[in-house]
Amino acid sequence: MTASVQHEDTRSEPARTGDRFAALREAVGHAAHVLPSQGPIEIFVHHNTLHAFEHLPFDEAVQKGQDRYGAQPYFSEAAYREMIGTGRITISDLQAVLQDEVADHDVDLIDGLGRRVEIQLAMLRHPLLDGTAAERHWIAAETDAFDRLRSDVPARVRENLLAGSKQWLTDSIAGTSTINHASDDLVKSLLKKFGRHFDHWSDETWERFTLHLLWKACRQGVTNTASVPRQTRSFLSPRDLLFQATGEDINRYVHDVLIRFCGVFLDQGYADWPLPDRDQGLYHAFLSLYSQPHHGPNLWMLGLSKELRSLKHEQTSAEESIDESLDLLGIAEKDREEFITETLLRLRGWAGMVRQMEVTGQQAVRPVPQRTLIEFLAIRLLLERRAIAHVGRESLGKSGSIRSILEQATAQIVQPETLSLERRAFLLFQVAQIRGWQPSRLLRLSPSEWSQLVTEIEGFSSIERRRVFHESFERKYRVAALDAFGNHARRCRDLSACMADSGDTSGATASVKRPSFQIVCCIDDREESFRRHLEEIAPDCETFGAAGFFAVVMNYKGAADSFYKALCPIVVVPNHFVQEDVGYTFEGVHRSRAQMRHRLGRATYLFHTRSRTFLGGIIAGITGSLATAPLVARVLFPHLTSRIRERFGSLLQPPPVTRLQLERFKASPGPDNGHIGFTTEEMADIVTRLLQDIGLTKTESFSRLFVVCGHGSSSLNNPHESAYCCGACAGKRGGPNARAFAEMANDWRIRTMVAERGIEIPEDTRFVGAYHNTCDDSLVFYDLDRLSASHRADFDRARSVFEEARRRNAHERCRRFASAPLSLTPDEALRHVEARAQDLAQVRPEYNHATNALCIVGRRDWTRGLFLDRRAFLTSYDPTQDDDDHSILMRILSAAVPVCAGINLEYYFSCVDPVTFGAGSKLPHNLVSMLGVMEGAASDLRTGLYQQMVEIHEPVRLLFVVETSPAAMLSIMERNETIARLCRGGWVQMAVIDPALSIDGSNDNDREPQLYLFRNGQFELHELSTLELPQRATSRECYQGNRDHLPFFSIGERKHDSE
Amino acid sequence: MTIASVYQFLGLVVVASPAVLLAVLALPMLLGRPLGESTQGHVTKAAILSGLTAAVAILFMMLAFDSRHVVIELGNWVAIKQEHFHFHLKFVFDRLSVPFAILSFVLCGTVGAFASVYLHREPGYHRFFLFYAMFLLGMEVSSLAGTIETLFFGWELVGLSSALLVAFFHERPGPVRNGLRVWTVYRAADAAFLIAALTLHHLTGAGDFDGLLGTGPWPDDRAAIDAGHALVVGLLLLVAAAGKSGMVPFSGWLPRAMEGPTPSSAVFYGALSVHLGTYLLLRMSPLLEASLPLSLTVVLLGLVSAAFGSLSSRVQSDVKNALAFASLTQVGIITVEIGCGLRYIALIHMIGHACLRTLQLLRAPSLLKDYQSLSNAIGKPLTGGSTFWQRFIPERRRAWLYRLALERGYLDGFLDQYLVWPFLRAFRWCDCFERRCTNWLAGPESSTPGRITVSEDSLEDVL
Repeated sequence: MTASVQHEDTRSEPARTGDRFAALREAVGHAAHVLPSQGPIEIFVHHNTLHAFEHLPFDEAVQKGQDRYGAQPYFSEAAYREMIGTGRITISDLQAVLQDEVADHDVDLIDGLGRRVEIQLAMLRHPLLDGTAAERHWIAAETDAFDRLRSDVPARVRENLLAGSKQWLTDSIAGTSTINHASDDLVKSLLKKFGRHFDHWSDETWERFTLHLLWKACRQGVTNTASVPRQTRSFLSPRDLLFQATGEDINRYVHDVLIRFCGVFLDQGYADWPLPDRDQGLYHAFLSLYSQPHHGPNLWMLGLSKELRSLKHEQTSAEESIDESLDLLGIAEKDREEFITETLLRLRGWAGMVRQMEVTGQQAVRPVPQRTLIEFLAIRLLLERRAIAHVGRESLGKSGSIRSILEQATAQIVQPETLSLERRAFLLFQVAQIRGWQPSRLLRLSPSEWSQLVTEIEGFSSIERRRVFHESFERKYRVAALDAFGNHARRCRDLSACMADSGDTSGATASVKRPSFQIVCCIDDREESFRRHLEEIAPDCETFGAAGFFAVVMNYKGAADSFYKALCPIVVVPNHFVQEDVGYTFEGVHRSRAQMRHRLGRATYLFHTRSRTFLGGIIAGITGSLATAPLVARVLFPHLTSRIRERFGSLLQPPPVTRLQLERFKASPGPDNGHIGFTTEEMADIVTRLLQDIGLTKTESFSRLFVVCGHGSSSLNNPHESAYCCGACAGKRGGPNARAFAEMANDWRIRTMVAERGIEIPEDTRFVGAYHNTCDDSLVFYDLDRLSASHRADFDRARSVFEEARRRNAHERCRRFASAPLSLTPDEALRHVEARAQDLAQVRPEYNHATNALCIVGRRDWTRGLFLDRRAFLTSYDPTQDDDDHSILMRILSAAVPVCAGINLEYYFSCVDPVTFGAGSKLPHNLVSMLGVMEGAASDLRTGLYQQMVEIHEPVRLLFVVETSPAAMLSIMERNETIARLCRGGWVQMAVIDPALSIDGSNDNDREPQLYLFRNGQFELHELSTLELPQRATSRECYQGNRDHLPFFSIGERKHDSE
Repeated sequence: MTIASVYQFLGLVVVASPAVLLAVLALPMLLGRPLGESTQGHVTKAAILSGLTAAVAILFMMLAFDSRHVVIELGNWVAIKQEHFHFHLKFVFDRLSVPFAILSFVLCGTVGAFASVYLHREPGYHRFFLFYAMFLLGMEVSSLAGTIETLFFGWELVGLSSALLVAFFHERPGPVRNGLRVWTVYRAADAAFLIAALTLHHLTGAGDFDGLLGTGPWPDDRAAIDAGHALVVGLLLLVAAAGKSGMVPFSGWLPRAMEGPTPSSAVFYGALSVHLGTYLLLRMSPLLEASLPLSLTVVLLGLVSAAFGSLSSRVQSDVKNALAFASLTQVGIITVEIGCGLRYIALIHMIGHACLRTLQLLRAPSLLKDYQSLSNAIGKPLTGGSTFWQRFIPERRRAWLYRLALERGYLDGFLDQYLVWPFLRAFRWCDCFERRCTNWLAGPESSTPGRITVSEDSLEDVL
């Protein structure tokens, strides 16, 4: 009925309705910004969870996030206070942060009550109770809060307080005190309570008396201040109103249907039976499915099918339906956008996925048309209306229009108390005890002084306290990191200077010696320890860090794959295609194996789907006892089983010798024969670009062997596996990129072209591609058959170093796993991490980027030998080779800053609120629609990182240390909007180290390494707070026997060298 | 040492090992000092291994000595002479109970090993293993039970632990609500079971299966009561079995039970718990032979459940729900087999299905990777195929059927509307009536609970 009325309206004023619909679409578009932007779980890309608020400063944004999502912005106060106990936050950190904040206006607050910093520090150090009226009531009645001073009040303060109140009482009774008339009543009422003979009072009675006096003083004082205007609670959304009024949540009904329906609509091929009319879009599929008559006894959906039939009949569009629903729900025109945002956020995982699929999912197996989010909203509102009517009938006993139900609900809600007088007084009462404020002093305060005091105390609210706590938490790490960096740099310089001196006398200069081998790894924090161990084992090797796609932007198809997948950062759309080919010799083997795979694949798939059906299930069920063998074997003997599987699996895999089809013959790139690959020109660009990035451009700097090492991760039973792989390869494994790069750089034609671009690679340098699995610490090398015999010995030497390094790396990683004993040997550790990767039951195959906190951009010389505890992204960059525009740094940072910040911030948010921002516990996760995970049988799609992934993380904002001048960094911020936003908004911490220094001190001998920290829009010199940096002989000595976060150490490798 | 005493000893080990496990896990928790993860792991492993070894030893001895019916007596625990009631603990090892007991040990053992890694560092670790031990004890007791009281005892333990495990993540409302739902359905099934047990006592004077089902060892036993009684008792037991196995019309709880951690879903709902109902039917199968209408009802119920399960399983877009309904399909088929008197086939089917489903559920999170490698091998994306329903059902019925499957047959709605709602209404009416009576007797405000008035500034009253 209403629908048709609406319809006539639209015909009479088409222009106006057109505007309304445009406004609706716009509102939905705006709302979509705050939805989670995580796409299908198959391609997991770390990104800033609060990306929608990135234009704001960090602290403001997290509080916006709290308002918007109900999520925690920081840890709880209690958690931070616990850190004070463990020494993770020190009082001096708190002081320093507070001092910075108040800066100049740290005035004596009110004569005699202390300075602002002192009061705030006291409020941070001592927990303050703040609760509802009932809670206070309970505290007053059941605890000794009004009988005994807080236990954290020092004895001296206690004595003073007691003495003060004694004095006050005697003075008041003697009438000598200059108090107004009101305190006469106060004395009387107190004496009435405690008895007249105060000279006989025991110490306890005096304490009670003091507290009561203090309480009265606070209460009286607060009464005199301006009261906070009472807020009446109003609700924009009917759901909140009804929930408040009746305790019934309409979401329960709505979500039950909506989750299931979205699941089958978005499904990418799990269900055997696709949703009827799916191709007509979400809204129409819903209309035709739910408009069928005679369906079910679900009371709350009463009348839905009739209405849907009329919508179908009238051909009402989704926008018209939304418009109508909003009118019926009584949402005013101005509130529409806010209401739509709130509504979409109620099931934000699903809504976000709908959005992601309609924007980027055109290539999906089952594409999702544009406009689906609007249709989602339309359906949601239709269901909400039914649910409201139902709750109205059931809980309010009212059937009628939605408006009348909502009116009745409004009449029923109980208005909550606001910041009441006693609540404010109680807060002051606690602070007064901690600070030891004399009641007599408080009683003498004028109303304006009271206002000032109350504003001061309340202004330092819980959220402010948490912010300060968090700043201090970060400060402690930041200061330690910058100190360590500065001290280590000094030490490096001293050592190499003295080495250079001694070198001069002996006649053999260090620079002549070529490194035994060089390796470039991904900048990933997990490679930090790997590189450190390599350098420790082979002090004459050299390591570099570069984004793990190694400038090779491609779509890649392996020999056993049927589809191309993008291996490059997610923001780049690759045009080039590379395919892995089997050689001529193995063509036949390959074909027969592919056929076998095809057949086995079909059989497995058939078994997989049919075991769930009627007849197929009977056969599967009766023969199912055979499943006991794999079941028991895989759970109880995962290592053995995986070896057996590998053995048999190798019969199905492509032949061992393959090669990349890398060079293109035809003009345009494409996925078909001839169009596959790069031109030599493009390859030369790629090689030049990477070598420039890592600052390896001088002929004499190249070693004979150069390893390019991509990385990835493999684990079982892990829908989030992609999150563990290489972020620079769109959550895939980066081996092929390394392999492709090595092949390009080995090609003499390309070397010639690279030489024309200014980098002459020596003739005897060979590149080898490799793949590091960060989960089981295995290392695979590519195309070794094509390594010339002359380099065989170099490679064998390097390989033995790699073998040792991966064992040590596994050993270092194991200290973090509670299930790995600390007494493991490196060999056992390697077996332990291998077993983790093969265990079906393992929910923590590795800890991924957890604990990341640093990103260092600069020459490795400054950090080589510094123990960074696997917490640092390491990017190689040589400022001495950059041009005046810093274009190399610019291009490195424009990728590294957003990517590393994205990882860090996702960890931050998933860690401070694992339930709202993170994906909760992994244990009940349930893969749905092949797109994401739900919790248990039905829930919102869970985005973010799951709790087991972040449990050891320390949420600190990433601290960049870039080897460049402050001016250069500021100019980069000027030029790159993203970097500027992240740095200026405080989403990352930025520091630079003076690049004018040379490592051997030859350039500017008198200067010490200078560090500058970016704060308040400018770089400030960081004064080292200590000149000490503990030294250890090896990495193992640094971490042995410890599971916690570790301080920085300098590893004494260079010292040994110099001796 | 006679063979009988060896049997007695081994039989005791089979039953006692889960009981000891439960005690060892529960007592320290009760005292507030739960065992460490690794100690707990060792204790669990020891209990499972000893129980399993003893059960396998009994199996071999029974094969070797060709004994088909071994009874372990633990005597009367409660005896009320006047009422002719005694609670008689007795365990029977025969061709039905031994395989099922071994299956329970194997699956629980495997899932226990899985869970000890899977739940590592989880705050509810101890709670999980407590329920797990309770479940294991329940499974062993009910599979080996020789009297209907013993069976009921085990049955209750299984029900309680299952419901608590569904609500394992009790910080979220969903699992708690669903756990409660499972619990309510179980209670309804239990009520039917209890009535059946009482009726049996009434008819035979004891809850002993021997008295009820004749003396022949399973599966050659014959019912000792007449067809009419068999029908009554049988129907009651069928309701109990249907509730426990999630058959129509109780299927609504099955998908809801997928709230717990993956290993509990696997062993409880994929494998063991859902089969307990069919196990009961198998145990009582002589009753079915005694009454043709009863057999027909069983077959019909099985068929409906299987068809419903298979239909629903096809439209589910998430792994766990699809597997839950797939389990229901097979449970339905097993019920049909039992109704047709194919007892051995039903037993084999049950065991095979339990193992397969456990593996599938434990591997459920691997689905994405499996599909990737399968689609790479096959060479095209997997999008499901045309199924029976799509091919043979006329187009206009398809959407209707699809919706029926998607909405899970509206079974919960039906139960709510036609079973729960009338009860609620009756009780509310009683409440109303009572209130009116007391108001009339003692004044209007007497029966409304005191409204708590929250005045803003009330500390003065307390201080």
